[in-house]
Amino acid sequence: MWREPRVEPIDDAPLIPGLFAVHELRKAWGDRTILDGLELVLDRGTLNWVGGENGIGKTTLLRICAGLILADSGVVDLDGLHPRRQRASYQERVGFLSAGDRGLYARLTVRQHLELWGRLSLLPRGRFRAAIERMIARLDLGELADRRMDRLSMGQRQRVRLAMAFLHEPDLVLLDEPLNSLDPHGVELLSACLAGVTGRGGAVLWVSPAPPSEISFDTRQWLEDGRLTARPRR
Amino acid sequence: MSGHLGAALAIFRRDLRIFLSYRTMAYSQAFSAVTSLAVFYYVSRLLRVSTFSSSDKYFAFVVVGLVILAVVQSTLVLSGSVRNELVAGTFERVLLSPFGAVRGALSMMIFPAVHAIAMGAWTLTVAAVFFGLRLHWSTVALALPVGIVAALSFSAIALLIAALVIVFKQAPGVGMIVVGITFISGLYFPTSLLPVWIRWASAVQPFTPAVNLLRHLLVGLPMSASPWLSLLKLLGFTVVLLPLGAWVLSWGVVAGQRRGTIIEY
Repeated sequence: MWREPRVEPIDDAPLIPGLFAVHELRKAWGDRTILDGLELVLDRGTLNWVGGENGIGKTTLLRICAGLILADSGVVDLDGLHPRRQRASYQERVGFLSAGDRGLYARLTVRQHLELWGRLSLLPRGRFRAAIERMIARLDLGELADRRMDRLSMGQRQRVRLAMAFLHEPDLVLLDEPLNSLDPHGVELLSACLAGVTGRGGAVLWVSPAPPSEISFDTRQWLEDGRLTARPRR
Repeated sequence: MSGHLGAALAIFRRDLRIFLSYRTMAYSQAFSAVTSLAVFYYVSRLLRVSTFSSSDKYFAFVVVGLVILAVVQSTLVLSGSVRNELVAGTFERVLLSPFGAVRGALSMMIFPAVHAIAMGAWTLTVAAVFFGLRLHWSTVALALPVGIVAALSFSAIALLIAALVIVFKQAPGVGMIVVGITFISGLYFPTSLLPVWIRWASAVQPFTPAVNLLRHLLVGLPMSASPWLSLLKLLGFTVVLLPLGAWVLSWGVVAGQRRGTIIEY
């Protein structure tokens, strides 16, 4: 029987406050240092924004938090879970929306996407159907549910991608420029989903170059020189 | 466990749905199989092959080779599928699920394997009904489990290639591997015709015992060694290679996560 490889911890995890934290995070692409000892704590029930210039490392940070790529060193901790050592448990509690419009199958319908994602998320049988119907209702996808992805507009596709990110009721939601192609109605639906996460004690990390005016955040930080600052220096 | 099975079946359903959404694909593949049969049927009538006692024997030999080639190609298609998913950004969804990338990649081989077995059954049926192929009915049913074991052993090689795709973004030479396999495993001609210096290669991979065993079970061609020995070899290759392939792929995923090659398309 195949088992996932054992990965030794990079550092001993310190006692970390909050629901989610990264500590002394470092990542370089070749000679270029992207994250340089970055610290981040997300408290329960909070909506957090991280901004910065294009190419500064926001997406890299989000991808490391999601467990999509690995840091060179440092600690990533979600309520005591490590993204590699407890990969499956970690992923059960993380929802991730990548930037752009990728990650969809052109020839599958909205409902088929949600069913696939629900199965991959290992949702228990009792929650599976209810979770799909809830997300269809929350993101107003009822009329689109049986429509193929290649017949949807960009904004409608973004709502499907959001539905997939929120489907399994994650505690930590990571959003990379989620307003992409959304109309005001879509922004309202997204706001309701965010309120749902924070209302049940989860946390949201939103990254985008500038803070969106439509959303009120509990914390705002800027990524500069590989670290987070409360105010932009440039 | 049932959750993992449900996830694997969901990936199978996804691939089936996408395949069926291209409405003419199944018909064109079925027609293509008939065309291949017709070509080899008339080639077997044109040429006298001294290794075979009759044209029918050579035709039977090649038909089973075609069926197995479809199974080989169905497993090796994984690297292309993984690459397509990486480009489309859909593989990261599998990676970021509790189900995981390696189980996801293994599940991505189910539909191609089922499809290849269905196409094999179609090819044999057409060959029997329209081209007079004589199936060895007393052992035909045994070919299915042997075919599944063979597909599993071939899958190990597919997993190794998929790992290369994840780490290096490319896996050149998959086509060459298929050609090499047809050459050394005797899909189109007996391995006894190979030059002596390369004949060893036919003994150190799972394709040759699979080909010999399936020919024996499907059309009753005699084997030089015991069928049980071939089965044992095939099982041995599967037991060793499949976990090795999964292990290499899992390290490929970790390496891709470190290097960023798993996302940067």
